[in-house]
Amino acid sequence: MKKVLIANRGEIVLRVIRAARELGLKTVAVYSDADENAMHVREADEAYHIGKSPPPMSYLNIANILDAVKRSGADAVHPGYGFLSENADFAKAVVESGTTWVGPSPQVLHSIESKSYCRKLGRKLGVPITPGTADNVDDVETIVRLFRELGPPLLLKLDKGGGGKGIQPICTEDQIVPVFESSKSIGKMAFGSPECYVEKRIANPRHIEVQCLGDNEGNYVALGERECSVQRKYQKVVEEGPSPVVSVEDRQKLQSWAVSILREMGYNNAGTVEFLRDENGNFYFMEVNARIQVEHPVTEMITGMDLVKTQLLIAMGERLGIRQEDVNIRGNAIELRIYAEDPFTFVPSPGTVTEIAFPRLSNGVRLDHALEPGLKVSPFYDPMLAKLIVHAADRRGAIELMKESLRAFRIEGVKTTIPLGLLIMESDAFVEGSFTTDTLAGLIEAATTR
Amino acid sequence: MDHKVTATMPGLVARVVVNVGEKVAEGQEVAVINCMKTEISVKADKPGAVKEILVKEWDEMQVGDPMVVLEI
Repeated sequence: MKKVLIANRGEIVLRVIRAARELGLKTVAVYSDADENAMHVREADEAYHIGKSPPPMSYLNIANILDAVKRSGADAVHPGYGFLSENADFAKAVVESGTTWVGPSPQVLHSIESKSYCRKLGRKLGVPITPGTADNVDDVETIVRLFRELGPPLLLKLDKGGGGKGIQPICTEDQIVPVFESSKSIGKMAFGSPECYVEKRIANPRHIEVQCLGDNEGNYVALGERECSVQRKYQKVVEEGPSPVVSVEDRQKLQSWAVSILREMGYNNAGTVEFLRDENGNFYFMEVNARIQVEHPVTEMITGMDLVKTQLLIAMGERLGIRQEDVNIRGNAIELRIYAEDPFTFVPSPGTVTEIAFPRLSNGVRLDHALEPGLKVSPFYDPMLAKLIVHAADRRGAIELMKESLRAFRIEGVKTTIPLGLLIMESDAFVEGSFTTDTLAGLIEAATTR
Repeated sequence: MDHKVTATMPGLVARVVVNVGEKVAEGQEVAVINCMKTEISVKADKPGAVKEILVKEWDEMQVGDPMVVLEI
């Protein structure tokens, strides 16, 4: 591997460039019309234009990106997160062009597009899944039987759905037929598949995920968990590790489940196994995120490992240099995602960044971003502006460090969620560690009606 | 008289939800704009009948760009 093309935009491109440079690799950026002057384009060794600003015409356009691979002579592709990062067709096309894909194999990506594949795998391995069907359902009678057996509310979910789309609750028996019909239709339109399955809705869940790495020889390590229960609009706002509700025994159990799932899948490279935890402390396997995740710095801070560099090394065919017993989790890390949005209504706030005051960075304070004065925050892409990550000896220390950093952090020209971050860090629910995925809405309501 | 319903946020046209000839009430959704992955509803600010649709999926919108012409 000599030259890696990063098929993405913004801060994650800068992150991959940093890791690639440490391995002596050349880097290639791609860009749309809107990103012609973006920092990720200037920081890479080379950059290629891949189309107009709308994602389907550039960052989601497989043919255009493959063309940039060819023109640049890159011998590897790192997909980052979002966009085409988990697209099996893209991975397959990259591999078939003789280029190294930095991620799990196209076959694995294809299998895990199906949620019912993951549910069946969980059942087979004895890893708990939420009560419901493992297979997809194709008749109303099965849903009626489950409704009577499990009780409301149920969730009807699309087998190939994602991003919270196509999830519909069933609260009464007479909703079954209309919800089933509408789900099938949404699935066909949005994801090309009408298949769906049914599960019991977990009340006040907490989102816990286990970061793993696997090399091409079948060696795996689990790097502890991250908790991502502070969410808005199905998107994560705060992630932390370790989770305040996961005991040492829980961690061992979750890690061994995660590794057994990935091993059974024949999974390679970085991946995250997602679980929900219910109010009684039961865990349920949900899905596998087959990419480097936005929140990977949390794990990097508490393990001292460079996950992106390890991804590149695994893709080069190197064996994992770390064994499970060598994984050492130290202190607590918290990440806050800062979005260009109204902090309390979440209405997007595109525009131009005019002025920035950065927080003081140190060993315990990291900022991953592509911010600079004059940055045009485009309406075409994700609103995330930056990720502020702090690490301290304990959770309380991390919260204080986050508050101090947020008070010093100023971005002018667009609205940002910095004030929301402070509200969360100062809330009893976060300080106590009692946050669930439903808590944020109530917190905002209390703050805005005060 | 013609009246243009315009984009209230910048972004990409996600879809137009009315057809030419259709009657729309004031406040009825006529199109959806995707701004930073959030769907923003564009509503008729006057009642009328749809005379012309000026945009298609993935068109780039700035605030104030006309999207749908109503006969009012």
